[in-house]
Amino acid sequence: MSASTNVGTPSVAAPRRGTAGMIRLAVGKLAVGIVAILLLVFILGPMVWMGLDAFARRWKSPSLLPQTWTMHWWHTVLGGTQLGHSLRLSFEFALVATLASCVICLPAAYAFGRSTFLGRKTILLGLFATNAFPKMGLFTSIATLFYAMHLMTTALGVIIIQLLGTVVTMTWIPAAAFAAVSPSLIEAARDAGGGPIRVFFQITMRLAAPGIIVAVILSFLACFDEAQGTYLVGSPKYVTMPTQMYSLVENYPDQAAAVFALVLTVPSVLLLLAVRRHVMGGHLAEGFQLK
Amino acid sequence: MRWSMVAMSSPPALLVLVFVGIPIVIGVAYTIGYTGGLNSIATSLSVAVHSAHNGVPTWAAYRSVLASARFKSDLVVTVWVTVLTVAITLVLAWAIALYARLSGGFFSRLLAGVAIVPLFIPVVIGAYAIRNFYLNTGFIVSVGRQLGVQLPQWSYHTSGIVIGQVWVSLPFAVLLISSGLAGVPNGLIDAARDSGASLARAVWSVMLPMTTIPTVIVATFTGVGVMGSFTVPYLIGPTAPNMLGVTLQTTYASYQRPQDAQVMAVVLFVLAGGIGALYVWANARAARSSAVLE
Repeated sequence: MSASTNVGTPSVAAPRRGTAGMIRLAVGKLAVGIVAILLLVFILGPMVWMGLDAFARRWKSPSLLPQTWTMHWWHTVLGGTQLGHSLRLSFEFALVATLASCVICLPAAYAFGRSTFLGRKTILLGLFATNAFPKMGLFTSIATLFYAMHLMTTALGVIIIQLLGTVVTMTWIPAAAFAAVSPSLIEAARDAGGGPIRVFFQITMRLAAPGIIVAVILSFLACFDEAQGTYLVGSPKYVTMPTQMYSLVENYPDQAAAVFALVLTVPSVLLLLAVRRHVMGGHLAEGFQLK
Repeated sequence: MRWSMVAMSSPPALLVLVFVGIPIVIGVAYTIGYTGGLNSIATSLSVAVHSAHNGVPTWAAYRSVLASARFKSDLVVTVWVTVLTVAITLVLAWAIALYARLSGGFFSRLLAGVAIVPLFIPVVIGAYAIRNFYLNTGFIVSVGRQLGVQLPQWSYHTSGIVIGQVWVSLPFAVLLISSGLAGVPNGLIDAARDSGASLARAVWSVMLPMTTIPTVIVATFTGVGVMGSFTVPYLIGPTAPNMLGVTLQTTYASYQRPQDAQVMAVVLFVLAGGIGALYVWANARAARSSAVLE
């Protein structure tokens, strides 16, 4: 069930001769082209528009480009102390939450991927509960518990909120990766005299690594981008970059918010570019089909 | 051996049990009037609560919330946005994935690659960029004016919310459906074509049935995600009526009525429960059919 069994594409465009056929083909191609361009504008347009805004000094409405340009907003935002602080806070929270998620979820992913035991399916589906409940409803429920446990506006509370958002990703995707390691390979390695620990690290872990890395990076980004829960539990004491964005959007000029937004996008884009091939290669999709 | 596996799998299960299971139980208890115990701090922070007397649950909170006009209009918006977003996302993702699978050319692969871009961008940023893009001063209206047409502003409007939700949901949908379509063997498609099936027929009768599971997964995850979302409707949507996620937050934090917020959360849970059941059913069906194959 891998993409590699389908090299090339099926021979769909069975050629039909004749003028009518040619016209139909041309019209079809044109329609596909127009839809595709509309889609490109839909997906990329807003980001490009915002990117222009970050350098605009004066931009009067019906014009499609700013009239005059400036770097002023970059100096304002990058020079502000708030930004550095919330950026560091975002990284710290996301790192701690992702590490905690690895420690808690990866052994479980191994268990789910490499064995069947009573209650396995129930637990897998139970974890899905974190995704099955609408986020905002869940967060207000959690906030009630957090008040009782004195976790509101604490760092631990924020970390737990972010950690919860990673559980499904960090269990399901690595579980699929562990499951994909062929048992015969492991047996062969054991037959050749490899101890269980050595086989685990040199065979199992190495083969499952791409799936695990995808899960780790997606989890880190989920934490780094988490805004709703962090806003509810952490503010006003812990303001991470995404939560800062809420107030920035309301209280600052558009250009400053645009600069801030671009800065906030950089880590995500860099990290995701690093794993783009693996994400596109199906590790994400594999993880979401329960086996 | 088996027990070590159970032990290894328990930490995330415990985490979810404590921080998802318990909150939901006490949250539901809160809505029917059990305002003491773990709920007492939330109660002390509230403007008003409906409390149960002598352990008899009260439905007063439900009555007051469900009767309010604001809640009703918000619920309608939430359901509509969810249904529309799921439908549009599925159509777009299918179109993009199918185009890439069948054409395989540079442009189609570029499109499939670009469709993943929103995954790279924090939701807050995407929502903010989308709001400005569809504002009166934004790209769409500006292009219209250049051409002498007055186009509507979609930001601060329900249609803007749907646009934002589709944008956010598209990458996951494209990834899963592409992966599903990659699993359909070329031989099957060619065989259908050779025996005289039109391309549309081959897609409908061969590719669609073999991609049902990823499609259902996309629909459920998108549906649940949209239903409980906050950022997109908060930034792009109108003040009122807006989606329940936004109203929940303001009811909880600004109006200081955690009990009412909790009632709305329960309504969302019930709606999502239906969608979740669909997901479990689809997976069970998939497990059965693959068991038959093996």
